[in-house]
Amino acid sequence: MKKISAISALALVSATGAFADDLNVVCSTEQAWCDMMVSAFEEKHPDIDVQMVRKSTGETLAQVRAEAGNPKIDVWWGGTGDPHLVAAEEGLSQPSGVSTDGLLDWAKNMSDISDKKTVGIYAGALAIAYNADVLEEKNIAPPACWSDLEDERFKGEIQVANPNSSGTAYTELATFVQLFGEDEAFVKLASIGENVNSYTKSGSAPSKAAARGETGVSIGFMHDMVKLATQGFPLIPVAPCEGTGYEVGAVSIINGARNFDGAKKWVEFALSADIQSRSPEVGVFAVPSNASAKVAPQSPDLETIKLIDYDFATYGSSATRGRLLERWDAEVGSKAN
Amino acid sequence: MKRTVYAWLLLGLMSFVFLPWHMTRDGFTSFQWLNDGSPSSGLFMVLEASNWWLIPTGLAFVASLLVQFFVAAPVARAKITLAIAVMGLFATVLQGLVIVVNGPRAFTGLLSGEIVQAGQQSMGIGAAVCLISLLFAFSVSLSQSGKGQGDAFVTSTIALIISLVAVFVFFPVMHILIRAFEVDGSLSLIGFFPRFFSSEIWGLNCLIGAGSCGPAINSLILATMTGAGTTALGLSFALIFTRTDFKAKKLLRILTVLPIITPPFVIGLALILLFGRTGAVTEFFAEMFGMEKTRWLYGFWGVYFAQMLSFTPIAFLVLIGVVQGVSPSVEEASQTLDADRWQTFRYVSLPLMRPGIANAFLLGFIESIADFGNPLVLGGNFSVLSTDIFFAIVGAVASPTKAAVLAVALLTLTLSAFMLQRMWLGKKSYATITGKADSGQNAGLNPVLRFICYATALPWAALTLVVYSMIIFGSFVKLWGYNHSFTLDHYIRAFGFDFSRWRFTGVAWDSYFTTLSIATIAAPLTAIIGLATAYLLVRQKFWGKEAFEFSTMLSFAVPGTVIGVSYIMAFNFAPIELTGTSIILIIVFVFRNMPVGVRGGIAAMSQLDKSLDEASITLGANSFTTVRRVILPLMGPAIMAALTYSFVRAITAVSAVIFLVSARHNMATSFIVGRVENGEFGIAIAYSAVLIITMLTAILILQGLIGVRRLRRTDRVQPSA
Amino acid sequence: MNNSINSNHHGEVRFENVIKRYGNVTALKGLDIVIEPGKLVTLLGPSGCGKTTTLRLIAGLEMASEGNIFIGGENVTHLTATYRRVSMVFQSYALFPHMTVRQNVAYGLTVKSVPKNEAYQKADEGLELVGLAGFGDRLPSELSGGQQQRVAVARAIVLEPEVLLLDEPLSNLDAKLRRHVREEIRQLQQRLGLTAVYVTHDQEEAMAVSDRIIVMNNAEIAQEGSPADLYERPASSFIADFIGDANLVNCEVLSAENNKGEVMLAGTKYAVASDGMTKGDAKLVLRPHALELLSPDHAGLKGEVSYAAYLGREMQYTIDTEVGQLFAIAPVRANSFAKGDTVSLGINENLARIVKA
Repeated sequence: MKKISAISALALVSATGAFADDLNVVCSTEQAWCDMMVSAFEEKHPDIDVQMVRKSTGETLAQVRAEAGNPKIDVWWGGTGDPHLVAAEEGLSQPSGVSTDGLLDWAKNMSDISDKKTVGIYAGALAIAYNADVLEEKNIAPPACWSDLEDERFKGEIQVANPNSSGTAYTELATFVQLFGEDEAFVKLASIGENVNSYTKSGSAPSKAAARGETGVSIGFMHDMVKLATQGFPLIPVAPCEGTGYEVGAVSIINGARNFDGAKKWVEFALSADIQSRSPEVGVFAVPSNASAKVAPQSPDLETIKLIDYDFATYGSSATRGRLLERWDAEVGSKAN
Repeated sequence: MKRTVYAWLLLGLMSFVFLPWHMTRDGFTSFQWLNDGSPSSGLFMVLEASNWWLIPTGLAFVASLLVQFFVAAPVARAKITLAIAVMGLFATVLQGLVIVVNGPRAFTGLLSGEIVQAGQQSMGIGAAVCLISLLFAFSVSLSQSGKGQGDAFVTSTIALIISLVAVFVFFPVMHILIRAFEVDGSLSLIGFFPRFFSSEIWGLNCLIGAGSCGPAINSLILATMTGAGTTALGLSFALIFTRTDFKAKKLLRILTVLPIITPPFVIGLALILLFGRTGAVTEFFAEMFGMEKTRWLYGFWGVYFAQMLSFTPIAFLVLIGVVQGVSPSVEEASQTLDADRWQTFRYVSLPLMRPGIANAFLLGFIESIADFGNPLVLGGNFSVLSTDIFFAIVGAVASPTKAAVLAVALLTLTLSAFMLQRMWLGKKSYATITGKADSGQNAGLNPVLRFICYATALPWAALTLVVYSMIIFGSFVKLWGYNHSFTLDHYIRAFGFDFSRWRFTGVAWDSYFTTLSIATIAAPLTAIIGLATAYLLVRQKFWGKEAFEFSTMLSFAVPGTVIGVSYIMAFNFAPIELTGTSIILIIVFVFRNMPVGVRGGIAAMSQLDKSLDEASITLGANSFTTVRRVILPLMGPAIMAALTYSFVRAITAVSAVIFLVSARHNMATSFIVGRVENGEFGIAIAYSAVLIITMLTAILILQGLIGVRRLRRTDRVQPSA
Repeated sequence: MNNSINSNHHGEVRFENVIKRYGNVTALKGLDIVIEPGKLVTLLGPSGCGKTTTLRLIAGLEMASEGNIFIGGENVTHLTATYRRVSMVFQSYALFPHMTVRQNVAYGLTVKSVPKNEAYQKADEGLELVGLAGFGDRLPSELSGGQQQRVAVARAIVLEPEVLLLDEPLSNLDAKLRRHVREEIRQLQQRLGLTAVYVTHDQEEAMAVSDRIIVMNNAEIAQEGSPADLYERPASSFIADFIGDANLVNCEVLSAENNKGEVMLAGTKYAVASDGMTKGDAKLVLRPHALELLSPDHAGLKGEVSYAAYLGREMQYTIDTEVGQLFAIAPVRANSFAKGDTVSLGINENLARIVKA
C-alpha cells in the first residue's frame, strides 16, 4: 500500500469501489505479516496496486459466501486451512494453476484434496502452553502430554476454545480422535473438561489468557504461543508426548475474481522460498511450505514434534465435522458450567 | 406547491435523459462516463440498448409533467400526479429487482427474453435521482390531494424516511431473517417453530441450579439488569448535575462521556488487568486480606460489570436533557403544597422524568442485548445471543439458519421490551415546557437522595478514572501487565510522522483518516434522520405510526454481525451495489445509530408542549420553519446527544463493520480488533488512546457550536439545606 | 397560494355543515356558523362541548371530516394552518421560551420574510399597543403572567390577521386581572376592527366581551345570539341554566297563545312569555331577581329562608319551597329577612319565561 499524503487523505471518502487493475487481497494472518507481504509483492510487481484488508478466516468465509457471484475479493491469503477447504468444497474458490512442485507434502496434500483450489503456505502444530509463573506459584508440575491434562492438579486451570466456534479447537478435537480413536477421544476430552475453566469462543483467546496468567494452561497453535513468549510473557509451549495434529495455512483464489492474473501472481509469490523465508522478520514462526525456505530457529521443529498424519479430507468434510461436534456437545460441552 | 412538484418532475426527467442510469465502473464523480462513448442515461438505454423496461420510468415523468400543464383543478391535478408517481415508482423498483445481471433475482418467471436474461448492471446515479424525484413528486402531491394530510414537508419527510428504512433496514435484514424459515430451500413455518422454541435457546436450567440457561434467557437477564442498572446510575449522574452544587461537575461530565468513546475490547481488557485472576486489584486483595484469586470476572458478573461501565453514559445522555427539562415551577408548586423535597422528587419530578427513564432503559436493554465485545472478552462459559449469532456466522460450523433463528429470538426480546416501555409510558402527557414561561428554581435533592446519588455515582466515576488511567498507562509501556518500562514505540509505529519528507509513516493513519471522514459524514446525517423521525412520531399523526416506530428501532436491535452480513447479501448485487465503497459504511452507521437520535429526540420533544408548534404554525410558519426556529433551538441537548453519539458510534462500532470494510476503506476498530487478535495490545491501546482524545476534542467542539438552550435567564438550584 | 381576498367577505368566517370525527367519536355534528366581519363572537360551553375543536378548525390545526369552511369568502377547508390568515392566542400563551419578547412578537413577520428591522419595528408597535413598550429585550420567563398574556396577544395581532382566535386567553390570570385584560382585549378588537373568535367556559366573561355568543353543547350549537338574547330569551333549560343564574322549576302550561303562556305553579296561575310553547309539562325559568320576597301574609308561593347573605349592594337568599329550593337576590332594605323566616314569594312575570321541560 502506498503511503498516503495529508491531502489525499481528505479525498479518501469516495464512492468508488474496486478498480480492475487493483488486486484485492484479504489477509487472515497477522497484520505485520500481511503488511510485509504487500510491500514485498508491490516491490516485485510495481504495476499491480494491492488493496489489502485483514479479516479473520471466519469473517472472510462469511463474506465470500455472501458475495458469491459478484465477489469483491480476488485472493484470500493465510489463515487456517479448514475454511479454505470449505470454500473450495462450496465452489467459492477456483484453481490457481500455480505449480506445487517444491512444496512439502502437507502443502501438496492440501492442493490435492481441494481439486487444486487451495494450497498450503505454512503449518503450525497444535500444542499445550502453560504459564510458568502461575504453575510455580501454585506448585503444579507442568504438563508434558495430553493425558496429563486429565490430572486433578489442573482443576480449573485449563482453558481451551469451543470447537463449535473455533477452528483451533476443532483441530484439537479431530487430533484427539485420530490419536486415540473416537470413543477414547471423547472420554479423554470429557475428563479434561473437568479441569477446564471455560470454553472460549475464539481459538487464540486461551493462550492469550495463559500468557497473562488468567489461566494456567491453554491449548492452541504453537506458533501463536511462541510469539507471545517472544513478547516477554512467561508462556512455555509444550509439544504433547502422544503426538499432535497441525493446521495448514492456505491461499485461495476466489471464484469470479476480477483480477485473476494478479491473483495468480500473488499465489506464485506467496509460495516462493524467498518470501516464505522472511516471515520471522515480523515475528511469525510457523513452518513454511516451500521446502527451500529457511526456517527460523525459534520455529517449532516439526521434525522433533511427533506429528500425526492429519487426515484433512476426512476431518475437513462437513459430515464428519457435524457428527463430531454433535457428540462433543453431548458428551463434553453440556457438562461445562 | 405546484412549483415544487414541477421542479422534482423536471429534475427526474433531466436525470433520466442525461445521467448514467446504471452504476459506472469508475464511480460517478470521476466523470469518466461523460466521454467513454457508451450509452448510459435511461433514455439512451431505451433507445440504443433496447432496455424497454425503463420506458415506464421516463413515461411517468413526461405524463405527470403534462398533467401539471393541462389539469387546472389543484386537487385533481395532485391526485393524477400521485397515481402516476406511484406507478412510476412501482415499475422502476420492479424492473430493478427482476432484471439483474447476477445475484438473486425476484419473480424469476415474470419476464423472459434474451435481453432480460442478459440482465443489467446495478442502479446508478440516474436511477437514484429518478427514484427520489418520483418519491417527492408522490409525497408533495399527496399533501395537496385534499383532506389536509399535513403539509408537503411532513408528507415528504414521512415518505423519505419510510423509503430509507425499507431499503436500508428491511430489505437487507430480510435477506438473513428469512433463513430462519427455510427448510430445504423452501419456506416453512413448521420448520421454524421447533427451532425457535428449542431449549437450546430458551433453556431455564440455571434458574433451578441445573447447569446453564439458553442464550436467550441469559441475554434477557443480563439486558434487564443492565437496562435497570444503567438507568439508575445515569439518573444519579443527571441529578448530581442538575440538582446539586457538586463542585467537580466538569470532571464528572468528561468521565461520563469516556466510556462511550472507548473502542470495543478496551474496557474488557482493562478490567481483566484490574480484576482478573492476576489483575492489580485482585493481587492487592490477595496480599492484604489473603483472599483467594478467583476468576469471577469471567461470566455473568464480569459482562454485567463491563456493560455498566460502558452503557451508563448513554442513559445519562438521554436523562440529562429530560431532567433539565422538568420545569422548576411544578417543583415549586409541589413544595408550596407542603411536600418536602423527597415527596416532590418522588411524586412530581420523577413521574415527569418517565419518558427519559423509559427511553434510557430501552436503550440500555437494547445495547446490552446487542453488545458483543464485552461478552466475547469476559463471557467465559456464559453465552449470550449476540456472541452465539456471531459464531453461528463466522464460527467453525457456520449456520445461517441458526444465526437467523437466534436473531429472531433477539428481536423478540427487543420487541417485547419496546412494547412494555410503551405500556408503561401510556398516553400521559409529559410536557413541561409549555410556552408559559417560568423562572423558578429547581428543587434541590433531599439529603438521603443526595447521599444515594453520590454513593452510586462517585465510585463509578472513580472506577472509570482508574480504568482510563490504566489505558493511558498501558499505551506507554512495553508490555502491559508484564514489562512496564516506558516506551513511545506504540505511538511511533501507529502514528509516526516523517517531518523530513512530510509523510505519514505510521501504520494507523490510513484507517484513522477514513474513520474520521466517515464518522464526520455519518453523524449529521444520523442526527437529521433520527430527529426528523422523532418529530414525526411525536408530532404527526399518520397511519401505521406504531409499526413505523418499531421499524426504526430494528436496525439497532439487530446484532451488528447480522447487519454486516445482510448488508453484503443485499448490497453486493444489482439493483443496489454498494459493497467495497465508503457509502455502505456511512449508510450502515446512519441506520444503525439513528434509533439513538430517535429515542433522545422523542424524550426531548415530548417535553415541548404542542401549543408551541401550533402557535408557530398559526403565525404562518410551515412545518419546516417551525422545526428549524422553534423545535430545534429548544432541543439543544437532544441534538448534541444525537450528534455526539452517532459520531462516536461510527468510530467505535465493530461487529457490523468487520464485514463491510475493504482495503480502500478500512476502519479504526477493525484495525484495533485485528491487533488485539494478534496479541499486539500495545499498539491497539495506543490507537484507542488517540481515538479517545480525538473524540473528546470533537465533542468539545460540538458543544461549543451547539451550546445550551436558553429557557431561563439562569438555571438555578436551591442551595442545599 | 392564490389567496385572492374578496373584500366583501373580508374577515368573515363561515362553516357549512362541518362535521368532525375522531375515530368513532363525533366532536362536531354538522355545524353551520357565520361570523360577521369586525365582530367578536364567543364560543361558550361546558368542557367537551366542541368549542375548542371549532376554534382549531378555524385555525386549521384540525381538518374537517366533512363540510366546508370559508374565511374571507375563500374556501379554506383543505388549507393547513400555515396558509390561513388567522392568528391564535393560546391558553398557555405558547411563547417561545428561547426568544426574547420582541423576537416572539416579530416571529410571524419574519417567517413571512419581512426584513428584520421592519419586523422588529412592527413588533415594538405591537408591544406598545398592548402597553408593553420597552419590554422587548426581556425573555418571557422574566414577565408576569398578565404581561406574557399581552405578549401573546401582540404576537397575534401584529400579523393583521383576518381573524383573531383566542382560546381561553384569561384562564391563567387571577380574577381582578382577568376583568382588566378582557376589557383591554375588547377595546383593542373594536379599535382595530378585528374579527375575533373567543373560546371560554366562563359565561360572565363571554357576556362581558361578546357581540354575539354561540353556546355549544354535545357537539352542536345549543343557541346563539347577543348576550341579552341569551339571557332574556333562553331557548332551553340548558341555556337558561348556563347563561346567568336561574331557578328552573317544573310547571304545567295550561294554555299558550300570542306568546303568552298561562302556567300553574303551586296553585297559583302566572302569565309569562312562552315563545311557541304548547300545553303540557314545561320548565319555568326564574332569574334570581325575578323573585320578590314578601312577608308571609302576602299571597303567593310560601317558603322558608334557609340561607341569607349580606353582600353590600344586595342580599342573597336561598328559600325552601314546595317546588324546590329557590335562589333569590333582593335589594338591601331595612326589613331584610333572616334565616328561618317564613316568606311569601312574588314572581315578576315580565322577567320569567317558560322553556321545554
